[in-house]
Amino acid sequence: MNIQLINIKKAAPAMACALLLVFAAGKSQAVVEEQTNLTELSIENLMELRVQTVSGASKFEQKVGEAPSSVSIITADDIRKYGYRTLADILKGQRSFNVTYDRDYARVGMRGFNLPGDYNSRILILLDGHRANDNILNQAFVGTDFVLDVDLISKIEIIRGPSSSIYGTSAFFAVINIITKNAKELKRVEASGEAESYGTYKGRLSLGNNFKNGPELLFSGSYRDSKGQQSLYYKEFDTPSSNNGIAQNCDYDRNYNLFSKVSYDHFTLEGTLSSRTKGVPTAYYGSIFNDSRNQNVDERGYLDLKYENKLGENAQIMARFYYDHYKLDSSVPHDYPPVTINKFIARGEWWGGELQAATTFYKNKLIGGIEYEANIKQNQNVHDIDPYFGYLDDKRTSSRWALYAQDEIAVTSNLILNAGIRYDRYSDVGGSVNPRFALIYNPLETMTLKALYGTAFRVPNVFERYFSDGNLTTKTNHDLKPEHIRTYELVLEQKLVENLRLSASGFHNEIKDQIAMETDPADGLLVYRNRGAFTANGIELELENTWKNDLKARISYSYQEVTNDNTHEWVPNSPKHQLKFNLTIPVLQDRIFAGLEEQYTSTRKTLAGNRAGDFFITNLTLFSQKLVPGLELSGNVYNLFDKKYGDPGFKEFVQDVIEQDGRTFRIKLTYRF
Amino acid sequence: MINRVAIVMFFLLAGIMTVKTPAAADERMPREYEVKAAFVYNFTKFVEWPAASFANERAPFNICILGSNPFGKGFDPIRSKTVNNRAVVIRDIDDTGDAGGCQLVFVSSSEQPHMAAVLASLDKRSVLTVADMKNFAQSGGMINFVLAENKVRFNINTRASNRAGLKISSHLLKLAKTVIE
Repeated sequence: MNIQLINIKKAAPAMACALLLVFAAGKSQAVVEEQTNLTELSIENLMELRVQTVSGASKFEQKVGEAPSSVSIITADDIRKYGYRTLADILKGQRSFNVTYDRDYARVGMRGFNLPGDYNSRILILLDGHRANDNILNQAFVGTDFVLDVDLISKIEIIRGPSSSIYGTSAFFAVINIITKNAKELKRVEASGEAESYGTYKGRLSLGNNFKNGPELLFSGSYRDSKGQQSLYYKEFDTPSSNNGIAQNCDYDRNYNLFSKVSYDHFTLEGTLSSRTKGVPTAYYGSIFNDSRNQNVDERGYLDLKYENKLGENAQIMARFYYDHYKLDSSVPHDYPPVTINKFIARGEWWGGELQAATTFYKNKLIGGIEYEANIKQNQNVHDIDPYFGYLDDKRTSSRWALYAQDEIAVTSNLILNAGIRYDRYSDVGGSVNPRFALIYNPLETMTLKALYGTAFRVPNVFERYFSDGNLTTKTNHDLKPEHIRTYELVLEQKLVENLRLSASGFHNEIKDQIAMETDPADGLLVYRNRGAFTANGIELELENTWKNDLKARISYSYQEVTNDNTHEWVPNSPKHQLKFNLTIPVLQDRIFAGLEEQYTSTRKTLAGNRAGDFFITNLTLFSQKLVPGLELSGNVYNLFDKKYGDPGFKEFVQDVIEQDGRTFRIKLTYRF
Repeated sequence: MINRVAIVMFFLLAGIMTVKTPAAADERMPREYEVKAAFVYNFTKFVEWPAASFANERAPFNICILGSNPFGKGFDPIRSKTVNNRAVVIRDIDDTGDAGGCQLVFVSSSEQPHMAAVLASLDKRSVLTVADMKNFAQSGGMINFVLAENKVRFNINTRASNRAGLKISSHLLKLAKTVIE
């Protein structure tokens, strides 16, 4: 199927209708969710019930339909049945997400916005409520560098739209709220091993336990080692002096992560530590091609102590105290001459606390909180090793505090008003006020309409503010301000027949003061400025159905147009059309499942003004459980049809398009003792 | 550097503690227990109690929760229900000595250490015993909840229910994950 041959704009409604019919035709059984009165259900219905709640959108548990956002939920079951290896794999399957990879970092785009070279600092990732974003680039990792093994995820809530009104900076396009498994879900001891294409092996050992009236304990460690593509060809480097464009053994990827959780009474202490070493085969920043010393080592860890308790019948409090650590050690070999390794070392260290209270009273659910964070280390150092030359040795500290409140008011029995506001104050960049209003209306039992308005911000990170190579090419800008987004969204959630659900949304985003690098005409130096302005408009459609026996399907289509307000041009790396299709088929009872994923991304513009061609990717997983007690076995093929495609490179790359992996295989075995 | 050492130490300690401990009880999840409360109510439709287990025609149907109550407000919607035209009363009890008049006793996992004693004292009293703890049905409890793939399932011990003079319908037995006879 070549989608370029047909006009997708015209085809989309027809496809949606056809799919609607297909979905509606399937005979489904009443699996009742979001039913208000569980006691009205038959025992058979209760047995089919899988309870899903959202806590991230408003910081308290609520039904998906009542959340002040468009929300998707991914469960541990989806992670197993679709063979997801990383958070990036998971997000690729979600509507309106566009994840790109430069063979170094995976970068998440949302609703058409993923400018080449931008960091993952416009999404906020929360791990059991703890911010996973760091304090140097304010970014959250989603690839093999993510702090948690995805096998330890119990549930992910993807909350689209701005949530700065409750979470502050970086809750710009979306919040990814990750809830980890508890000791009970892991059952005592679980061991997992996998082998994948390109010499990739991974092992995991997890232990879970809970005492009677005592602490609940979970401990898990994973190690993964990948040789990566042994030889990668880049035509841009096809000269005899640079190994005819072949980068050998430069794509390696090694990581470990440790995760631990101790819960006792009202306290939960969580700790993570992870480190990833990734070879950089692309020879960015004019570095030496085919040099395996070109690498990035990212290390991230934290300790988080949380206290949760009830205050009487209708109120809860939560307090949190944490300590975080991040370190990036980047090596880039240059031939100036002489040949030397240029190092960029960033160290971040911070601690903080949070106090939150929630209460319900007469048609109101009120939540409020206060946060404080101290960045005790935000250091950046750039130097050449031998001969030694120091370009930058910048040491910073800063702090921030915030106050927020949100009220959910049941105006009438079928109308909810959700209003929230948050004030953030930064010691170095000033303050920001961000509101969010949501009207949630249920005209019919099967229909929910949401009207959403909100703003969000992202503070300039220390890299954007203070990085310079001693004014050789780049200078600092201490006057950078936060960037802002204002969004308007309409959401329709409709139960069509039985378990068939439709959700549709239309959005309008306005981004102002976006921080972008430009050349200062006065001195020819690169500098970050609050100069960017963008407008995005789009629609999303999604159909989801669950049949008997865990047969499940979901399809989404999104159309988005992002325009640079300064140039009135379509922005780079912004697909206009995206199609995602996920299907789980029970092949043999509840023992063998097939998981199929189809993802279509339309043509994107590259930085050079060329086009990165559109592509269809197919991933297929065969998953088995219970064939042997305690054993799960799965086989996966990613990019089944070996589609050749690439993602736009960024400014520091010679390559305009970075080619992605072709067909790869994985087998995975998990055993529960 | 010290901070990283601290993190590693934390992991090591947590790891060692984990290895040495025996597996045990359930943890509390409000939503899970709302569903379980609905199950408990549903069970009453599939079980026949001897007439002698009620004081009189108009005596209420007593659902008793023994030990620390994990249901939160889960039973609230059931208070307004009826079982065989009898009003439903939900009672928290601390001891099996208070179980007089109870037709159904949910044994909270807080009672796990003395599960055997609890079951022994409820034996032959026409009381349906329900719980969600390990080996409850094997140890002589009648219905035990288990979780499978985030769904609530249950095991039934008919030997125990027969001894108590309770009749569990074949329909409920069919839905059970395992039946101990």
